[in-house]
Amino acid sequence: MKKKLSLLLLAIVSAMLLGCGQKAEETGKIVKTIDDLEGSKIGVQLGTIGDIYASDYEGDEAGTTIERYNKLADAMQALRQGKIDCVIVDEQPAIACTKGEKSLVILDEPFTLEDYAICIAKDNEELLNKVNGALEELKEDGTIEQITANYIGDDTKGTCPYVTPEGTTYDSGKLVVATNVAFPPYEFYDKGEPVGIDMELIKAIGDKIGMDVEIEDMEFDSIINAVDSHKADLGIAGMTMTEERLKSINFSVPYVTTKQVIVSINPDAEGRGLGLVENFKRNFIDDDRWQYLVKGLENTIIIAVCAVFAGMFIGFLVAIVRVTFDKTGKLSLLNKICKLYLAIIRGTPIMIQLLIIFYVVFKSVNVPKLLVAIIAFAINSGAYVAEIMRGGIMSIDDGQMEAGRSLGLSYRQTMVSIILPQAIKNVLPALANEFISLIKETSICGYIGLMDLTRGGDIIRSITYEALLPLVGVAIIYLIIVQLLNLGVGKLEKNLRKSEQ
Amino acid sequence: MSNDILIKVENLSKSYGDNEVLLNVNMQIEKGEVIAIIGPSGCGKSTFIRTLNQLEEVTSGTIYVDGEDITKPGVDLNDVRRRVGMVFQHFNLFPHLTIKKNLTLAPVKQKLMTQEEANKKAEELLERVGLADKADAYPDSLSGGQKQRIAIARTLAMNPEVILFDEPTSALDPEMVGEVLALMKELADDGMTMIVVTHEMGFAKEVADRVMFFDEKGILEEGTPAEIFNFPKSQRLQDFLSKVL
Repeated sequence: MKKKLSLLLLAIVSAMLLGCGQKAEETGKIVKTIDDLEGSKIGVQLGTIGDIYASDYEGDEAGTTIERYNKLADAMQALRQGKIDCVIVDEQPAIACTKGEKSLVILDEPFTLEDYAICIAKDNEELLNKVNGALEELKEDGTIEQITANYIGDDTKGTCPYVTPEGTTYDSGKLVVATNVAFPPYEFYDKGEPVGIDMELIKAIGDKIGMDVEIEDMEFDSIINAVDSHKADLGIAGMTMTEERLKSINFSVPYVTTKQVIVSINPDAEGRGLGLVENFKRNFIDDDRWQYLVKGLENTIIIAVCAVFAGMFIGFLVAIVRVTFDKTGKLSLLNKICKLYLAIIRGTPIMIQLLIIFYVVFKSVNVPKLLVAIIAFAINSGAYVAEIMRGGIMSIDDGQMEAGRSLGLSYRQTMVSIILPQAIKNVLPALANEFISLIKETSICGYIGLMDLTRGGDIIRSITYEALLPLVGVAIIYLIIVQLLNLGVGKLEKNLRKSEQ
Repeated sequence: MSNDILIKVENLSKSYGDNEVLLNVNMQIEKGEVIAIIGPSGCGKSTFIRTLNQLEEVTSGTIYVDGEDITKPGVDLNDVRRRVGMVFQHFNLFPHLTIKKNLTLAPVKQKLMTQEEANKKAEELLERVGLADKADAYPDSLSGGQKQRIAIARTLAMNPEVILFDEPTSALDPEMVGEVLALMKELADDGMTMIVVTHEMGFAKEVADRVMFFDEKGILEEGTPAEIFNFPKSQRLQDFLSKVL
C-alpha cells in the first residue's frame, strides 16, 4: 500500500516537474509596438490600472481579448507559455520580473504614464488631510526620493533605507494599512516581512502623523473594499487614481509617477533562463522561502483542526435539535432556525461565507484573521457535520430509543448514553472525510489575507514570478496530508468493523 | 380500588389518524397474575401493551398503574416505566455496551443503585438466566435466545412490578424458543406479574392465569386457559384456534 502510494506520488511529481521545464509554446502574435495590441491577447492583473486601460481594447473589431489574472506571476507564466501575447503592467514590477529572463522583453515605448496615490475612505477627511500634509513634507525634505532610490537604481539600491527619526512617538494610535504584497519594488516579501517603496513610505507617513503602521496583506481588488468598510484606515499598493475608483474612495496627492509598460516575448531568445534544479533552489531554498510553506501549513492545520472540532460541536447541537423535532415534535422554533442555518450554509459557497464573515460580520470588530477563518470554517463545517450526524442518529433503530425509555431513562439520558455513542461510531468515517475536505477548503483563506499553505505558495510565486513550481510544491503537500489522513480513515474503518464482530 | 390491582384500563381507544386500532378496551391485572394475550396479526395486541407503559399515547380512555392515572399530562412517565418493565420482540439490547453494562446502565443512570450495587445485582441476574459467563461479552456475539434472556434480565434489573412481553419469541429460531419460555415460566412461578402477547399457545395454556383473545379492535373473549382453549364461545376464536393449534 505504502509502496504504491509513494510510486504514485513520484509519478505525479515527475510529470509536474517536466511540465515546469517545458519550453514556451509557439505563439501566434509577437507584440512589438503599441499598435500591435489590437487583435492580440493581452494579459493584465485583475483590477490594476493595466486592466482598466487594456479594457478599452476589449471587444474591438480586431478581436482583442483581455486575460485577467489574480497575480502578476500568473500573467507572466501565461506569457512564457504563449497563452497570451503580452502583459500590460507598471514599469517597476515589469523590470523586477523580467530580470534574468532572456525570453521576455519590456517594450521601449511606454503605454501610459501614471500617478500613484494613497486611497482613504470618503468619510475620513481628517486622515486624508494629515496624509496629504505628511506627503508634502516628505517630498520637500527628500525622503520620498531617498526611499525610491533605496529600491530602484543599481547604484543606490539597498544603500539608503528609511530610518524612523529618533524621538518619534505614536500618540495617535494604530494605522491599519491595506496592501497587496505582490508588487515589487513597491511591496514584496523579504524574509517574511513586507518591504518595498510603499511600505517604507507609509512608515514615514505614520512617523510624521504619529501613528503606528500595521500592514494587512490582501488581494489587490479587495483593498478598496477594505478601506471603504474601515477594515483598514488606508490603502497603498501602487494604486492609480481613476474616475471609477474615485466614486467609492478618496485619493491623497500623488506620491510617485510611473509608467505602464508592455512586456512581450523576445522572439530572439532561446528557451528559458533557468534549469529545473536552479528553479527549485530559487523557489524554495533561496532566502529560506520554504518557510512560507511551513508557516502556511501550520495555519492550515490550525484552522482545519480547530474548525472541525468547533464544527462538530455545532453539528451535534443542530442534529439533536432536528432529530428531537422529527421524533417528538418539540423544539419547533429551534428546528426552524437550524433548518434556515443549514439552507444558507449549504446553499452558498464557503468563499462567500468567509468574505461576508470577515467584511460584514466582523466589520468594525478587530478579530484576528486566524480566528475569523476558524469561525467561518466551523460554521460551514457544522452544517455538514449536522447532516452527517442526523443521518447517523436516524440510522439507529427506533427500538433502541424504546428500550431506553422503557427502562425509565429520560429522552436526554437515552440520547446521550445509548443513541449518540452508536450514531457517532457509525459516522466516524464520514466525519473524518469531512475533515479531509475541510483541509482542502481552507485554501481560500488567502482571500482574507491569511497565510495558509496555498497563500504561502502564492507569496513565493509573487517573489519569484514562477507559477508552476510553487503550485506543484503546495499541491504535493496537500496530497501527502490527505493521503496520510486517508490511510488513517481506512485503519479506523477496519477497526470499527472488527469491533462489530 | 383493591390494593391488589396493579393495572386497570378503562375505555381505552387508540387511532392512527382515521385508522382505529383499539376501541373501548377494559381490563385489569392483579398482582402476581399472568395474562396471555392472543389473537391474529394486526388486531392491536402489541399496540395495546405498548400503551400500558405509554410508548404509545392513547387517543381516549384511562390507564391506572397503582391507582395513578398515567394518561394524564404531567405524569412522570420515567417513574411509571421503572415499575412497568418491557421485553421486546427484537430484544433491543444496546450493541455498544457489554452485557453487564446493558443491565446496569439504567439503574445507575437513574441513581437507583450505585455501580457496585448494580454490578452485584447484574451478576445475580445473569446467574439466574444462566448466562453468567457472558457478562463481558457484547450482544452481537450472542444467539437470539441468549439475547432475549439478557433482555429479560435487563428488565428485571429495574425491579419492576409488572413486565410486559411483546411477542418475546416471535423473532427467535424455533430451537431457541424453549429456553426463553422456560425462563418466563420460572418468573411466573416466582410470582412476577406479567402480560404476555404471544403466539405460543402452549405457553398461554400452561402458564397464564387468564387468556385474552384480541380481535376487532379489542378483547373479544377472555377467560381461564381452560375456558378459552377448551370451550371457545365465539366463532372468531374457534376459527383462530383451529388455525394455530
